[in-house]
This record gives sequence, structure tokens and C-alpha cells, in this order.
Amino acid sequence: MSGSLKITHLNSWHKKYAKMVEFAGYEMPIWYDKGIVEEHLAVRRSIGIFDVTHMGRFIFSGSDAENLLDYLTTNDVKNLKPGEGQYSVLCNERGGIIDDLIIYRLEEEKFFVVVNSANKVKDEKWFREHAKGRSVDIKNISDITPQFAVQGPKAIEVLNKISEVNLNQPYKFGEIIETKLAGYKVYATRTGYTGEDGYEISQLNVPLSNPKPAVDLWEKILEAGREYGITPVGLGARDTLRLEAGMPLHGSDITEETTPLEARLKFVVKLDKKEFIGKKALTEQKERKPSKLRVGLIMIDKGIPRPHLSIFAAGRIIGETTSGSYSPLLPKGYGVALGYVNRDYKQDGTIVYIEVHGKKRPAEVVKPRKMLKRIREKASQLSPT
Amino acid sequence: MKVGEYVVQEGLYYTKTHEWLRVEDSKAVVGITDYAQRNLKDLVYVEFINADEEALDVGSVVKAGSQIAAIESVKATSEVYSPVSGKILELNRKLESNPELANKEPYGAGYLMIIEPTDLKADIEKLMDDKKYAEFVKQEAASHE
Repeated sequence: MSGSLKITHLNSWHKKYAKMVEFAGYEMPIWYDKGIVEEHLAVRRSIGIFDVTHMGRFIFSGSDAENLLDYLTTNDVKNLKPGEGQYSVLCNERGGIIDDLIIYRLEEEKFFVVVNSANKVKDEKWFREHAKGRSVDIKNISDITPQFAVQGPKAIEVLNKISEVNLNQPYKFGEIIETKLAGYKVYATRTGYTGEDGYEISQLNVPLSNPKPAVDLWEKILEAGREYGITPVGLGARDTLRLEAGMPLHGSDITEETTPLEARLKFVVKLDKKEFIGKKALTEQKERKPSKLRVGLIMIDKGIPRPHLSIFAAGRIIGETTSGSYSPLLPKGYGVALGYVNRDYKQDGTIVYIEVHGKKRPAEVVKPRKMLKRIREKASQLSPT
Repeated sequence: MKVGEYVVQEGLYYTKTHEWLRVEDSKAVVGITDYAQRNLKDLVYVEFINADEEALDVGSVVKAGSQIAAIESVKATSEVYSPVSGKILELNRKLESNPELANKEPYGAGYLMIIEPTDLKADIEKLMDDKKYAEFVKQEAASHE
């Protein structure tokens, strides 16, 4: 593999067990020995651990930190209390999505911000351009902050074995806790990209030049989860898990050419707040209603949908897929997709046709947020019990 | 024989696109190699279609080097190409419901189809034998390190 790729603290560990690929400039595991399907099902049924160190992590501090973040993002940062986090998007003036991100308020004037790996250079530039003349300090702590996601129904129980505090109570989804795990200082956030309960763990002050504490924490979590069959999970299953959960991937399902209103992310767009980049364009789009909307698509017949396939209804093209794969919860051969359709076809239960290998195959429309629940229902109907 | 973790079965003929051919009673049994299945991992669906996305069936005529199937792994669709020209005698339809057969027994129960060849001798001359294929796999594996 090319020597110019960036690596994470766990690189040597991954290389022992995983097939490695290039992703967003990093050498990352795509799957370990058991493969995508087993890794996926381990997270759905029990617990899995992901190295997500390739993501971008920033600390914003200072008296203008809140104002800057509130101006750059569509959600209401002013409403965020210390210890809380919020999903949000960075928009351009046209309302197109530069990136999606999570903002956590650590203290009154201190925020932890996590962005996508593929966008972190672009985002940092955007942050700094708009920080000029404001009293805010932006630190890129990506390289000294290894980050692991621990996800699945057993995640909290396992983490509690090595946690200083009880991570179950009183912490709610989206919250951030500054605590210790196996003796290491971390930001633990009750968030994830799988549709399951769990935490994302950012380990503080671990430079790449001395990766040992990161490897040790990773192995301590594996040890704690052994009784539940914890498995390391690569980028392959990370993608199928988020897809089943209807969560968008920036660069595929959301881009600078799509708005949060089209992407069904209206819940992070607070048009009533004072001023933010993209407000005008989004306000206008809300008034005339977006012509296309993001939907989840569950295949009724066999055939695996992929990105960039045409979606048909009433004999004409009404949309296009943006992501698609086999759904490991469903029997072999059945897939799910995300895509955009003409708004007339947004209703749950609408049947549309996706052209897979030259054949138009029926798929059921479902709201992205309800996709995982609907896949589970389908799974119980399709597989013999 | 084994090349690293990859099994190369002796006595078969191989393509550069990682299909194998076994001659049985002057018929050609065709499948994908262990190298192919290990790199695709988790096979989830198999469709017997040609490059024009038309369904192939028993009796369909195929050409050496032409697409005879699309194999879906979780991550991607991969085309399978015929090592011989001829007429399809049998399709392994078990793969449509149990694609993992090609993961578990790529040289056995996971075979793809049986073809009645039109010019077996000429086609085989263009393929690699087991030793040459083992060497090829070694190079392929090294270039993906």
C-alpha cells in the first residue's frame, strides 16, 4: 500500500487481523477475518468496536465560540447546555451541505466538534476563514485524539466494566462525559453511526508517535466485551450499519448540491434563529417546498441496489439512488438503498422500481429514520422462524 | 497447493480474471477461484447475466471472455467471465439462494455452471495451468500488499 497514506494509532494492530484499504487518505481496515456480515450482525445483536480515528476532531474555545458555531451551522447551538451534543450541518450560502457534524458543549465557552474524515481539511479552512476577527481559538486535535466507537445492545454494559462513572444513568443519547476509561482520560459521547445504543470514545492526548495507550484502551475494551463476543468492525460494516439505519453519508447521500431540507434533516434546521450561513436559501426552499426528498428504499425482490441507479414510477424516472448494498438483516440477495425521489413519491409504503442489472425491481419507500425498524419487520416476515 | 492463504487447486485451468475450468467428460465445469472469493468476501447474491444484462439459461451460447454472471458481495458487483466458448448445459441455481457456497467451496459445490465447449482445446491453450496461476496469484497478492 502506498507510503503516503495517513495511519491511525491502531494501524499495526489492524494490519494483523484486517484487510486494509485506502479511505479518505487513511489506511483503514475494511473488514477483519470474519467479514462484513458477521461484524454487522455482532453490532446488531451484541457489540462491536470501530476505530474512527480518521474522523476530524476540534476544540473551539473563547467568548465567540458559541456565536461562530451558531453562525456556521443550521442547528441551535445557543440551546446546547454543557454536557449536551447536537447533530448539525454546515451549509454554504445556497443551503448545500458542506459537511454533517456533531457539536458538543463541554463548558460555557468550550466546544468539541467532530466532522467527517473526508472533509476535515476543507472544514478546518472554512472554520478558520469565518473565525477571523472573532474571539475564538480553534484547535485541531484529530491527530492526538484516537477515537473508537463501541456500539450494540451490550455496549454500555461492557464499557461500564472499565468506566469510572456509570455510563447508562443519567446519560442520554447525544450527551458528552469527560471521564476515565480503563484509567485513560476520554470524552465519552453517547452517539453512533449504527442505529444502536453505544458510545464514541475520544481518548485525550495520545500522539501518533506513542500509540501505546490507544492500543491498550482498544484491547481493554475487547477484553471487557469478550464474554459477549465483541468483534472489531471495519469500514465495510460501518457503511452497511449506517445504511440500514437510514443515516446519510456525506459525499454520497448528502453533498454541497443537496440541502438539509431535501435530505430530510429538517430537525437540525432552525430557521427561527437569528442568522446563519444558508438561512436565506433554506427559508426560500422551505416556502416553495423541496422538489426532491431523500428516502429509504427496501427491495421487495432479490437484487442488490447500488449508488447512481435510476428509480422509476409510472414508467418514468422519478429519482436516483445515492447508496445501496445488501442488508445483512435480510436474507441473502435482498438489499436496501437511500436515494432521492420526486416529492410525490415520498409516502411510506409507496412502491417504486430501481433498475438493477437492467431490470426494474420493486422497492418500498420508507422514511430514512424509520428504515431500520421496517427492515427488522421485513426480516421477520422473510426468514423462516 | 497453497499460495499464502489462497488455495490453487491442481489439475484445473485458470483465467487472469480468477475463474477456473475443470474438464469432466469433455465438458467444462466453471467457477470462481479461492483468490476471487477471499477478496470479494461475503458473497450475497449471484445472477446469471451477460454484459447486456440479459438473463442466461440452459441452452444460452457464451463466448470465451464474455460475461456469464454478476456476483454481488456486500461492497460491490463483480463480473464473472467464461473461460470457454460453448453452450450452457447446467446452471448452479443453488447459488441464487446460497451464494455463500462459492465462499465455502469455490472449487466444489460453489461452482457456477457447466458448459458444452465448442473448441475446448483452443480455449484451454489460452488459459493458465495450476502452476502458472499460482505464480500469477503470488504476483497479484504482492501488488495488493
